[in-house]
Amino acid sequence: MQAFILAGGFATRLWPLTEKRAKPLLPLAGKPIITHLLEKIPREIPVTVSTNAAFAEGFERWKQTIDRPVELIIEQTRKDEHKLGALGAVAAWISARRIDDDLLLLTGDNYLGFSLAEFLRAFHPPHALLAAHDIENLAHASSFGTVLTDPNDPKRVIGFEEKPKESKTTLVSTGCSILPRATLPIVLEFAEREPENVGGIFEEFLRRKIAIDCFTFREPWLDVGSFASYLEAHRLLLGEKVLIDTDSTLETTTCTGSVSVAAGSRVIGSELCDTLVFERCTITDCTLRDCVIDEGCTLEGVDLRGKMIRAGTVLRLG
Amino acid sequence: MRYRCLLILWLASDLFLFLGSFALAYFLRVGFILSSDFPFGPFIAAAAMASPFWLLVLATTRTFALGRRQQTLRNLAYIAYASVVGCALFALLYYFLYDVFFSRLLIVFAFAISTGAAWIWHIIFERMLRIALTKDPPQFPTLIIGVTRESRRLIALLKCSRNPLFPVAILDGLGVKEQEIEGVPICGKLNKLEEVLKERKITHLIQCSDLEQSLNLLSACRSRAITYMVLPSVFGIVERDEKIESLEGHAVTVVGPPRRWWEWFF
Repeated sequence: MQAFILAGGFATRLWPLTEKRAKPLLPLAGKPIITHLLEKIPREIPVTVSTNAAFAEGFERWKQTIDRPVELIIEQTRKDEHKLGALGAVAAWISARRIDDDLLLLTGDNYLGFSLAEFLRAFHPPHALLAAHDIENLAHASSFGTVLTDPNDPKRVIGFEEKPKESKTTLVSTGCSILPRATLPIVLEFAEREPENVGGIFEEFLRRKIAIDCFTFREPWLDVGSFASYLEAHRLLLGEKVLIDTDSTLETTTCTGSVSVAAGSRVIGSELCDTLVFERCTITDCTLRDCVIDEGCTLEGVDLRGKMIRAGTVLRLG
Repeated sequence: MRYRCLLILWLASDLFLFLGSFALAYFLRVGFILSSDFPFGPFIAAAAMASPFWLLVLATTRTFALGRRQQTLRNLAYIAYASVVGCALFALLYYFLYDVFFSRLLIVFAFAISTGAAWIWHIIFERMLRIALTKDPPQFPTLIIGVTRESRRLIALLKCSRNPLFPVAILDGLGVKEQEIEGVPICGKLNKLEEVLKERKITHLIQCSDLEQSLNLLSACRSRAITYMVLPSVFGIVERDEKIESLEGHAVTVVGPPRRWWEWFF
């Protein structure tokens, strides 16, 4: 089996945090989102990460910080409109590397609370396998793509619905699946028609009568797609903890809720609540609530609530 | 550079216009002769000495500001105010230099001519300035943030009036299907900000939506020495009844209840 992590999106909803950094590289509880994912993949499975030229440097740096080999595929594009598409990237890699293996397909911006080893045990080729999160609330499920299972065999997928008005199920589709090696030619063929439609490949499988098994889990699943979901993921993983890097300084500062302060940052005489402070920031006499402060910011004497602050911002109360 | 040269030309032309107005007032009052009773030389010398002060007073009314519309009554009032000060200065200078008085009507002539001529010249020069500054490549490439009703109106207005702030690109926080507005390309979402600022050599940014990104847009502008502007509609003030006033020395945007016209002064 081979693992392929999709990390080539431009994540425009998380601007400006993703201005120079891919979404999977955003820190979550002290390490990049993608590292949480990588740590769950059994070491014997070779891992390939697909990204684009705009974020290549960041991934090269990240590669130096992890303790296992990872192959980086850099799509030579810096613009959304020139991208191969997520499935297009998978297909290009399958063709170029002549992959003839089962494929663990993961989305780099997803945090998976369940054990991937358990997920792998649930894989029975030639059936494809899809992880579905039981969100336990029909109304919430309608904000996602839902997975319909056979009432007589809840482990068998029979259909999908994209953000249904009234959801029939509490199972929502996640960015974690296994494509059996026998299905790879179908992936190549489908990717030519719909290179952006990763989810669509499973509908294609159903059209071609290829069985899809459903791996249902109730552990946390976080799809970091927006500022709100990023903060929610931060709160969920950190809880009521304060995560201070050993190379950072906190002086006469009150922290409440989930707070993380990254290396090289100094926070003096401030109040932080549910806030992430990235590297090399200086925060003096500020009150920050539900904020993400990107690296190299200098904030003095300001009160901010619910803000993502761009890297290098200097804000001093005049 | 183009703007600076034009501005210097404008200031210089205004100086000559002030002197010309006084000369015309002299000849209209004295007759088209060089009188020996009231010699032209000392008269124009005093006017020349007063002219820089007149120009300075005129500049303090911000009549030369990039965004100022010249063809407005308010601007005429500012020019008239500068002319009053200029004429008063001239009279004082003349008296202190030569210890004599002269025709009071001449001062009235000089005031009327300098005010009228300056206003007409400013209207003409503004038109020339706008043509020169919006010629390709525009002197002030402007980035519009947000595709909204207000931004559409603004773009149309800027283009129609050949405003020196020339919209060259539009970004929208959420992205839109349209490709352009009034011929101005929509370049994508805010993740293209850096690229657009750099490639299009943006000098001005006008925020028309995406209130939550104000701090970040401002930060990008500060780091690149770009002038940042924000429409009141971004804060929900859409009725165009806002005023910028001062509260203990701090600029504040004010929306108050309707008042009678004379209450404006207080």
